[in-house]
Amino acid sequence: MQDHTTEQELKERLSLIERMIAEGRRNTESWGWTFVLWGVAYYLAIAWSAWGHSVWAWPVTISIAVIVTVVVASLMAGKHPKTTLSRTIGSIWIALGISMFLLFPALGLSGRLTDQHLFVAVISAILGMANGASALILRWKVQFACAVVWWVAAVATCFGSDAQSTIVFLVAIFLCQILFGIYGVIAGAQERKRRVPIHA
Amino acid sequence: MPDLPQLNPVVHGRLRLALLSLLSGVEGAEFAWLRAKTEATDGNLGAQLLKLEEAGYVAVKKKFVLRKPQTLYRITKTGRQALAEYVQALKKLLGPAVDS
Repeated sequence: MQDHTTEQELKERLSLIERMIAEGRRNTESWGWTFVLWGVAYYLAIAWSAWGHSVWAWPVTISIAVIVTVVVASLMAGKHPKTTLSRTIGSIWIALGISMFLLFPALGLSGRLTDQHLFVAVISAILGMANGASALILRWKVQFACAVVWWVAAVATCFGSDAQSTIVFLVAIFLCQILFGIYGVIAGAQERKRRVPIHA
Repeated sequence: MPDLPQLNPVVHGRLRLALLSLLSGVEGAEFAWLRAKTEATDGNLGAQLLKLEEAGYVAVKKKFVLRKPQTLYRITKTGRQALAEYVQALKKLLGPAVDS
């Protein structure tokens, strides 16, 4: 390669290939809204069950959140192509959803969901597992920090009072759902802004 | 001096190379997604995709989702092989400069 411009051009081609392959595989930031949605849903369910004293607070709020997630996700499905990675991450969250949707109503109906500490510990541990698995696959430190927060919450709730358990849960929801979700949305928007047009 | 490899002109075009690279990482992609990722104009994108389709590097499937037409593109086996050969040729041409 005698011509320096040509060498630069070829290097640029190589970097374009790497950038585009990475771009095609990057879809996670687009899901920031689901974290925010579920964070808000948890807050609404907690507020409704605390002040409204209704047994329907959790089933109704969670059912609505599930419907909204499914509808928006199906509308977005065409916009984001499937990759092995996105299928793997998606499977983790779908499996988490099914587990929660089966476990908590069953515990409620059987009358065994009487211990708030146990409820918070189980939900936090499951969310820690899903966030942890997703973070390890994506090598995403911020999400792994969320997993750690959920695991800490799961352990801490076993020891404190009812009020402390509630505070731990509320703080974990704020950090790992609301804040992390907003971060995901902003990161996605910044990524789109950084994109430069590619001409023929 | 050993023979330097020729770069496939169909793959070499910047936008076509970007499209093949994007499609190599996904199972299939919509026109709108490819447009958003490359920020190319509709006309340019359509023309380059057509060239790739004519070369047999990209397969097109049209379907309706919620009554809206959707055009899905996916890289073919030939396209994947052409991209791999292009990368090999590029690395060979760049030689030691590839890591700098």
